[in-house]
Amino acid sequence: MSLVNAELFKIRTTALWWIMAIVLVPLYAVTLLINWANSNVTAVPDDAGVTDTQSAQIEAALQPINVATNLYTTGQFFGILIVLLLSAIIVTSEFFHLTATTTFLTTPRREAVILAKFGAAIIIGVLVWLVTTVLNLIFVPLIMNNLDLGSQIGEPAVWRAIGLNLLAFVLWGILGVGAGVLIRSQIAATLILAITYVVGTAVVSLIFLLLSQYVAEWINNLQVLVPTSASQLMISGTDLPGSPPRWVGAVVLIGYAVVTGFLGTWLTKRRDIS
Amino acid sequence: MSAPGTDEIVVDHLTKQYKKLRAVDDLSFKVRSGRVTGFLGPNGAGKTTTLRMLLGLVTPTAGTATFGSQKYIDLPDPVREVGAVLEASSAHRGRTGRNHLRMICRAAGLPDSRADEALEMVGLTPAANRKFKGYSLGMRQRLGIAAAMLGDPKVLILDEPANGLDPEGIRWMRDLLKALASQGRTVLVSSHLLGEMQLLADDVVIVAAGKLIRQGPVDEVLGDLSGGVQVRVRTPQAAELTAALAELDATVTPGADGSLVVHGVEAAAIGHAAFTARVELHELSTERGDLEQVFLQLTAGKAGIR
Repeated sequence: MSLVNAELFKIRTTALWWIMAIVLVPLYAVTLLINWANSNVTAVPDDAGVTDTQSAQIEAALQPINVATNLYTTGQFFGILIVLLLSAIIVTSEFFHLTATTTFLTTPRREAVILAKFGAAIIIGVLVWLVTTVLNLIFVPLIMNNLDLGSQIGEPAVWRAIGLNLLAFVLWGILGVGAGVLIRSQIAATLILAITYVVGTAVVSLIFLLLSQYVAEWINNLQVLVPTSASQLMISGTDLPGSPPRWVGAVVLIGYAVVTGFLGTWLTKRRDIS
Repeated sequence: MSAPGTDEIVVDHLTKQYKKLRAVDDLSFKVRSGRVTGFLGPNGAGKTTTLRMLLGLVTPTAGTATFGSQKYIDLPDPVREVGAVLEASSAHRGRTGRNHLRMICRAAGLPDSRADEALEMVGLTPAANRKFKGYSLGMRQRLGIAAAMLGDPKVLILDEPANGLDPEGIRWMRDLLKALASQGRTVLVSSHLLGEMQLLADDVVIVAAGKLIRQGPVDEVLGDLSGGVQVRVRTPQAAELTAALAELDATVTPGADGSLVVHGVEAAAIGHAAFTARVELHELSTERGDLEQVFLQLTAGKAGIR
């Protein structure tokens, strides 16, 4: 536990955490406004040129409960990005700032250090989740009332979505530490993770859309293997038509976290530190 | 108290093979407590790699490096047993010196107050709340020593600690290390600055190209050098004197500035030989071999880039 404390102390004593906080706040605000605007659209007209599945998805998404789960998990996209980058930097900064030597001299059992970093990443994930969730609980009821949908705050599905959102933050934190060990260069790690996370999601969706249209429909179901899609699926309020069940998303994400975690620890144990 | 004997450093047939380079080659030596041991060798001799293997940062290809019989990784409380200063620039640029030390205290389970005591010991208290990027190279070395002393360890290992220190800083460090050794601690200091080691070290371990060249007390290594004493002679009649000295079985080699360097006979004998041969002398002086010369002779042809 003192090692987790030391890891959190490392983050607290540099400028990194408040830079990330400053980045997160406006991104949260923008996301909230976009989610609000998206919830405001009415049902699609019949001749809009969409497939049956798509129109079923849109109709499902416009049900009050799904609007609510979407809004109450606002901040997930960028919040997780911040958690992912912070978690990776917890590892890469040790090599970037040549502090790995000091760290491993103080704690020669390297698996203990990596475990502490996982612990710190989980705590960061929980904290960012807590901040966005508190903000959501303040602002979303106002928006829901504005949309004439009621706050929906009593619905179990809303709280399940908030809970699964927490799981997503935690799992992405673990994933970040694993990724940081695999990509030791700080610049490469942050760039690769940020680009893959932000642009990659759109690119991957497009690739899967094309594959499913021109090769085979079932390929679309493999999209859940992409971490960002898995995380999105996991927190969606009710099972949307045409998507795999929600637990599949959770399993995929946990799988990634476990694999990067074990691989990262194993690599750190056998590497020479110089 | 720890297991007995962990304050003795034992390097036993240690070898590190990188892809093409054998950085450390079957190296064995021991370092005793209560003395300052100089770990000497030219750049690239494998000193840093040896220290990193000793501290569990680099895995040896073969052999062991231990404290007593225990590996660093197996020490129950390494920070209280061994302190090490490996890189002068190993702290986060944006973190203050005090926070750098507190970070180590927290990971090692030491009270935060140790950070301030260590800062005081190395004279960094006025700069405690300054960020590391504002530290001079000398201040960084001092911070490194402070970090190593946090756990009040019995063994202190320093890799090229004199780098970047001004003369005053070097003297400060020399006094500190001697004082720590006199308290019964083990002090191992690597360096390529030989003059400094001559003033500081009690024992020396000399390596080149990853191999042990010599080990022993400084005096012994200096004294053992064949022709440890040499005589410098300056004369306008070099040829005549060389001929005269040849009869005495002395070795004469031309020195740098037109002088002659004579091994194997003492100054008095040379003076007598010159007198009987009617050779004029302008200089006749005995020179003790210093560590620098010993070192250059011992590592000749083995130094340099590998």
